[in-house]
Amino acid sequence: MESYRMSAYAGVFAVSCTREQSTGAAALQRERQLNQFLLEVERRALRIAEISVRDRDEALDLVQDAMIKLARNYAERPDGEWAPLFYRILQNGVRDWHRRQKVRNRVMVWFGRGATAEDDYDVAANAPDPAGRTPEAELQTGEAMQRLEVSVHELPNRQREAFMLRMFEGLDVAGTAVAMGCSEGSVKTHYSRAVHTLRDKLGDHWQ
Amino acid sequence: MKDRGKQLEEQAKELFDESVEKLDAATLSRLNQGRHKALEELHRPGVVKWHGPLWGAPAAGVFAVAVVAAIVMRGPASVDAIDDPVTASDFEMLLEADSLEMLEDLEFYSLLDAVDAETNGNVG
Repeated sequence: MESYRMSAYAGVFAVSCTREQSTGAAALQRERQLNQFLLEVERRALRIAEISVRDRDEALDLVQDAMIKLARNYAERPDGEWAPLFYRILQNGVRDWHRRQKVRNRVMVWFGRGATAEDDYDVAANAPDPAGRTPEAELQTGEAMQRLEVSVHELPNRQREAFMLRMFEGLDVAGTAVAMGCSEGSVKTHYSRAVHTLRDKLGDHWQ
Repeated sequence: MKDRGKQLEEQAKELFDESVEKLDAATLSRLNQGRHKALEELHRPGVVKWHGPLWGAPAAGVFAVAVVAAIVMRGPASVDAIDDPVTASDFEMLLEADSLEMLEDLEFYSLLDAVDAETNGNVG
């Protein structure tokens, strides 16, 4: 009887250990997959955020926040869904950033801090290189990229999002729709308008 | 002959990819740190956590009341200088944890204004 009980305990212990090992292995595998996904996406995401906010430090913060939120809230989702979810989080972050900037400026006006010429000077818009790169890097990137960045930045928000997600990140229409939180038809419209606008703006330089 | 739109798309993609490849080491290092920070989230228990300081919420409340009171008592700095009034949703946004630093700035600016007013003998 005693030996039977001992072997039953041993069996339960073995099953329990095996289950923990397999759960641990699955978790490790998940972590590796997420790491690989973030590694693949982080640099393009940074440049996309940077073109939107025109500040590299702010863009780095936005990308990091998006990575943390994805890991915290969506790590268990199928990895095929990560890209649109990640970009949805990032785009929301960018939109919040723009709203905060607007409110900050508006509140500063209420406190009499927004009306002076000094405060009206938009440092980001007037900086020689909005991305904050070194002169060497700026030269490397080239004038064409500078023109493209400025032109994309000046697009209306939704057109800019559609263009960057489709063209720079390579999301398909369905993925872009998830990332932007709109219909596939809207994505096509925004994207087409963006290309049309950019062609008009850049066409002469790029022939 | 290629369609002009297609040509633009290809050129834009090429330039963008090139700029991604040329990111500097310091930036890549920060991205790396950010990624590891994100992966640490996987090892945390699945509970909703408040990441900000414990005094954040009450401090935000006090700042918000101070800001609203200051605006109500003082009115806009210059009627010509403002297009839209500050709305309730603006204050909601200001109450977000990320905006605490900005609220602290506002307190500092209002202090500067008070000191200015006193120095110029405009008080009372």
